[in-house]
Amino acid sequence: MANIGWKDILAEEMPLDMAHEIDIFEGQMELMGQGKLDEKVFAETRLRRGVYGQRYDNGQRHDGFESRELEFEEIERIKGPDTIWHAPGMQRIKVPGGGLTAEQLDVLAQVADEYSDGILHVTTRQDFQLHFVHIEDTPDMMRRLASVGITTREACGNSVRNVTCCHLAGVCQTEVFDATPYSEAFAQFLLGHDDVQDFGRKFKPAFSGCESEACGLVMMHDLGYLAQVREVDGKQQRGFKVYVGGGLGTVPHQAKVLSEFTPEEEILPEAQAVSRVFARLGEKRNRNRARIKFLVAKLGIEEFRRLVIEERKTLPHDDRWTAYLETLPHYEEKPTRPPTFLNGQVSSAGFQQWFETNVYAQRQEGYSVVTVNLPLGDLTSQQTWVLSDIARKYVGDNVRTTVEQNIVLRWVSDSDLPSLYEELNAIGLGDAGAGTVVDITACPGTDTCKLGIASSRGLAAELRTRLTAKSASLPDAIKDLKIKISGCFNSCGQHHVSDIGFFGNSRRSGNFKMPHFQVVLGGMWRENAGSYGLAVGAVPSKTVPDVVDTITSRYVEERAKGETFQEWIGRIGKKEARSLIQPYMKLPDFEQQPDYFSDWGDPRVFSLGDIGIGECAGEVVSLFSMEIATAESEAFEAQVALDENDPARADSLAYASMVKAARALVRTQFLDVGDSPDRIVEEFKTRFFDTELFFDQYAKGKFGQYLFDRHQSPNPSPDNDAAHRLIEESLLFIEATHVCESKVGGNVLIEI
Amino acid sequence: MTAPQRMSVKFYFDELSVDVEEFIPVFHRWIRENVVPNELLLDVADYKHIIDGPAILLVGHEADYVIDLTDGKPGFLYVRKRDLGVDLPEALATTLAQALNSIRLAETDVELQGKLKLRTDAAKIVLLDRLNYPNQTPNGSGSNDAGQTAQSQLAENLGVLFGENVTVTRVENDAREPLTFELNAPAAPDVDTLLGRL
Repeated sequence: MANIGWKDILAEEMPLDMAHEIDIFEGQMELMGQGKLDEKVFAETRLRRGVYGQRYDNGQRHDGFESRELEFEEIERIKGPDTIWHAPGMQRIKVPGGGLTAEQLDVLAQVADEYSDGILHVTTRQDFQLHFVHIEDTPDMMRRLASVGITTREACGNSVRNVTCCHLAGVCQTEVFDATPYSEAFAQFLLGHDDVQDFGRKFKPAFSGCESEACGLVMMHDLGYLAQVREVDGKQQRGFKVYVGGGLGTVPHQAKVLSEFTPEEEILPEAQAVSRVFARLGEKRNRNRARIKFLVAKLGIEEFRRLVIEERKTLPHDDRWTAYLETLPHYEEKPTRPPTFLNGQVSSAGFQQWFETNVYAQRQEGYSVVTVNLPLGDLTSQQTWVLSDIARKYVGDNVRTTVEQNIVLRWVSDSDLPSLYEELNAIGLGDAGAGTVVDITACPGTDTCKLGIASSRGLAAELRTRLTAKSASLPDAIKDLKIKISGCFNSCGQHHVSDIGFFGNSRRSGNFKMPHFQVVLGGMWRENAGSYGLAVGAVPSKTVPDVVDTITSRYVEERAKGETFQEWIGRIGKKEARSLIQPYMKLPDFEQQPDYFSDWGDPRVFSLGDIGIGECAGEVVSLFSMEIATAESEAFEAQVALDENDPARADSLAYASMVKAARALVRTQFLDVGDSPDRIVEEFKTRFFDTELFFDQYAKGKFGQYLFDRHQSPNPSPDNDAAHRLIEESLLFIEATHVCESKVGGNVLIEI
Repeated sequence: MTAPQRMSVKFYFDELSVDVEEFIPVFHRWIRENVVPNELLLDVADYKHIIDGPAILLVGHEADYVIDLTDGKPGFLYVRKRDLGVDLPEALATTLAQALNSIRLAETDVELQGKLKLRTDAAKIVLLDRLNYPNQTPNGSGSNDAGQTAQSQLAENLGVLFGENVTVTRVENDAREPLTFELNAPAAPDVDTLLGRL
């Protein structure tokens, strides 16, 4: 078994394209190690594989007294700007629509306990995150995930992130139709698509089945889809109301209506057109203004819409736009058990409380959706294995993650609910209160995030403990409030759309900094994140539990019958809302209240010294740089194949590297060149060879001729010498491509 | 047998009269004072909200230290993640040495002294490496079973440390879980004695 790795063991289990992408990434890691890749290019490359930075990865940590250097081995070796190679990082794992199988849960649990700290964390966008992961473990981790159909591709970086979808889609009482297959098709279509490789910033899509619920939160997404049906010539036609330019972040924007109704056959080409407009006109230099919301705001929705419509007309036809529609009539989820009813079965004391908050009656009679309430979105590998067995027993593969950091089991036959509850409870996953005031959402904050200012998770844990302890006595008006916490202004905890939201900041008192949370009141979770809350002032972190008590008590005392929290905040106004927290805004001295100067769950004297440069924005690198890096990796793989005495594969990879390099160059002028080698070579010849732009001062067209020769006359049985020669030629060709690109300036001119 | 990618050993608490939360400032101090030789300590993670899980983690580059409540058996878990050596005996020696050293650190810590005591007559050893140590059901012949080979190597090496009558039992856990063994010794040698034998 010596030298047999996961790559060999899983070769038959991984889809070929996924396996190849991972090999390429591994090659790029090796090239980075050899100093042959630019650090920014590699950073964006790894981000697009979901390999993210983590707090302290710049090698500095404040210990409460001073900032100290963490003495990693090979401290000079980096994996991106100011990011040490050996420092542990975070791995984000995409879960489109939150959909998971039991087998996928098993493998996620295994990679968590072998490569991270054994904790799986569900994010606010239905992803999983593993923390404290070493970059050198990531290729094998990706292979193991790929073997069960999970990709980490474009989980981070300036790319199309996880496509979220309502976790109730398909079983919801109020949806127009099931948005799931559309969100899946969307995710597949744009994954790695040429037109989404040149964004200045990340791009988050969401799908929702109905307007009034929270569902997919489409109003706060870059591109959001609300299911609609209209009648045309007496026939029902499916489609979506499409929103664009929403987003939270520092400056939240409500999405604008791009289209009142986009028929189902048009949603993919329209998304492609949106992507092209964003890639072409979106900000690239100033990452703080690079999300699509700023482009929409700058152009105005009418002009943006016009550009998208014009762009749509120019798109070359793609069969994938509608191919998936043929599968829609066959799309269905299958329950594992027949429908049954709860007919007064004897159940435990905790069951009723859990049933009230964690069970949703599906529109299909006799079935329910059960929410597994994960504290702070966390579960252990051990819990996950048992959970996957519970899923197999009761619901099969009908499992989804939610944007409130929980997991749902769908299609639970109703009479199974009591036994299911007992089994969840036995592994510590039977907490009631899902979706209520105790089910608090929090981003990682200072626990692991480089940008975190205050401890969002520490605060969430404290509030959860306190509110759970008194949950039985909480007035009904409070029970259903949403509390959401972000560790900084970037809003990963989605505080803008909660009733009571917080985001971390700091204030100075004397010579010390004190962790604070800005209080944001009256955001709306329902109606797909229908409106954003008002920031009313910042309070010391340690006062937040009292602040929550004060606000909720006043709400209970003053609310009119049926008045929601948003309506109450709207009625009392910002000034009065601020006066509620005013008593807490006074800052004590360190000597008076030293515990105010450390954060929840962290006894160190508070400091901002650990904040690093965030990688949320990715690195702004040119499209050419990203694509030529892939070509270089293919050439590297060719060398590996030759070392493994496989000249045929080496020859093929070397040729592929030249085609990829040529394509990268062609795409600086002509984005739609496609993937056909014939077309790429032809365009390369016309644009760069015949014009002599590719010519070297001395070698003239020699390097370009390498490509033409191999393209026209492939060697049917190359030996090692021939393959070696071709590899050398491919390396020279790639070098010449770099030179040519810098000579012509790499302007991306759209030419259809 | 090649060294596993990761290996952990958990010693169980005999006494624990301190809330797990109180390990947080202790671990932060351990980082600040760099108390563990040859290891880089990085951060403290608080997972006490998870029932029966790894309550408090001291995360390091080479290893993690965990106040672990899994299976309702509170213990001090040492997870070696890097530099385990070339083979299983070396990995075991490295892991045990550092684990025992950390027990001594905890038991003698200025804030924890007298509040905890760990048993040294029982431990759980886990080989976190499904590639080289798959958790397969023994096939009977024993020739291809990594579990059986690992078990005999562990027993041999642990016998030197804990005495001849030590037993190393393979835990009959689910195949998805890592290969796991329980160590039981007839006596509980003190930590210094064990370290002296390593």
